[in-house]
Amino acid sequence: MSQRSQLLKGILEGCILSIIKQGPTYGYELSMKLQEFGLSDVSEGSIYPILLRLQKEKLIIGEMKKSPTGPKRKYYQLSLAGDDALDEFTHHWNAIKAPVDRIIERSNDK
Amino acid sequence: MNAKEIIKLNNEKRKQLTEENEYYYSDMLVYIRTCANKSEQQTEEVLLELLEHLLKAQEQGKTAKDVFGKDLRAYCDEVIEEIPGERTLKNVTFGIYLVVNLISIVMLSVGIISYAMHTLFDLGPNGIIFPLGTGLVIILISLASLSIWVIAIFKWIKHSTFKAKKPKKWTEFFRLWLMCVVFIGIIVATFILMPEFGMRITISFTTFIILGILLYITSILLNKKFRITK
Repeated sequence: MSQRSQLLKGILEGCILSIIKQGPTYGYELSMKLQEFGLSDVSEGSIYPILLRLQKEKLIIGEMKKSPTGPKRKYYQLSLAGDDALDEFTHHWNAIKAPVDRIIERSNDK
Repeated sequence: MNAKEIIKLNNEKRKQLTEENEYYYSDMLVYIRTCANKSEQQTEEVLLELLEHLLKAQEQGKTAKDVFGKDLRAYCDEVIEEIPGERTLKNVTFGIYLVVNLISIVMLSVGIISYAMHTLFDLGPNGIIFPLGTGLVIILISLASLSIWVIAIFKWIKHSTFKAKKPKKWTEFFRLWLMCVVFIGIIVATFILMPEFGMRITISFTTFIILGILLYITSILLNKKFRITK
C-alpha cells in the first residue's frame, strides 16, 4: 500500500464520520461534500469500502429509505459508538495536526 | 427492502448506463456477486450504491474508471474485503433446497414414467426395484459432481470478468457445452458402470410417487420460508 493511501485511510474515516454527524447522508452526496471541502485528490469510489467497514464496526447505521426525489436510497447516520469514535478522532487529530505542521514547515525552511 | 427487491431495482437502473459504463459496471457486478460467503443483503446494497454513484457521475461525462480508479478489479477486491460475511447459513439452506428439489423431481419423473410403462405397455416390474447400496452411492456421486459443477461454473464466470478483450460468443458456448457434457457424462457413466450391491428394495409406485410429492412440497416450503428464489 502506498504511503498516501495509508495516511488517507484513517483520516478519511474521521472525515466521513464528521460529515455524517451533520445529518443523514447517502453515498454520492457524501463524496460530493468531501470534494467540496477540497479533498478532490480522493477517488470518489474510495468511500464505499470505508462505509462498509464503518457499518461493520457499528459506528454508522445504513438504511434504505425513500429519498425526497422518490427512489429508495441508502442513508447513513451515526450510532452512539460512532459519536464516541468521532470524538476520539477529533481529539487525536487536534493533538497531531499542529506538531506535524510545525515539523514539516521547519524542514521546509532549511 | 430485501436483497431480491434491490436486485430488481438494480436491473431497472442499469439500463440508464452508457455503453462504456455498462461494460465496466456489469463486470464489477458479476465479480462482486460471485464472491461467496458474503451477506447477500449487504452485497446488493453496495452494488446499488455504486450504480447510483456511477449514474450521477456519468451525467458529468465521467466513466467508471474515473470514479472507481483505473484498476477496477483491485477496487472490487477492496469492496469485497469489507462486505460482512454472514452467508454460510444461507448457502447451507440453499444447498438443502437444491438437493431436496432435485431428488423430488427425479423421483417423480422416474415414478410416473415407470408406472406408465408398466400399466400402458406392460414393460418393467410392478414397482420401483433397486439395490440399496448402489442407489445411495449413485445419489452421492451425482450430488458431489453437481456441486463441483456449480463451483466450476462460478469460478469460470468470475474468471471471465475484467478482460480487455471479451472472448468470442462461440468459444464461450463451446466451453459451457463441454462442461455440461462432462457433468452429464459422469452421471450417466455411474448409472451404467456401478455394480449392484446392497439389499434389493422394492417400493410400490404409489409410495414412491407420494414420497416424491412430499419431498417436492418440502422444497417449496423451504423456498417460501427462506426466500431462496423469490
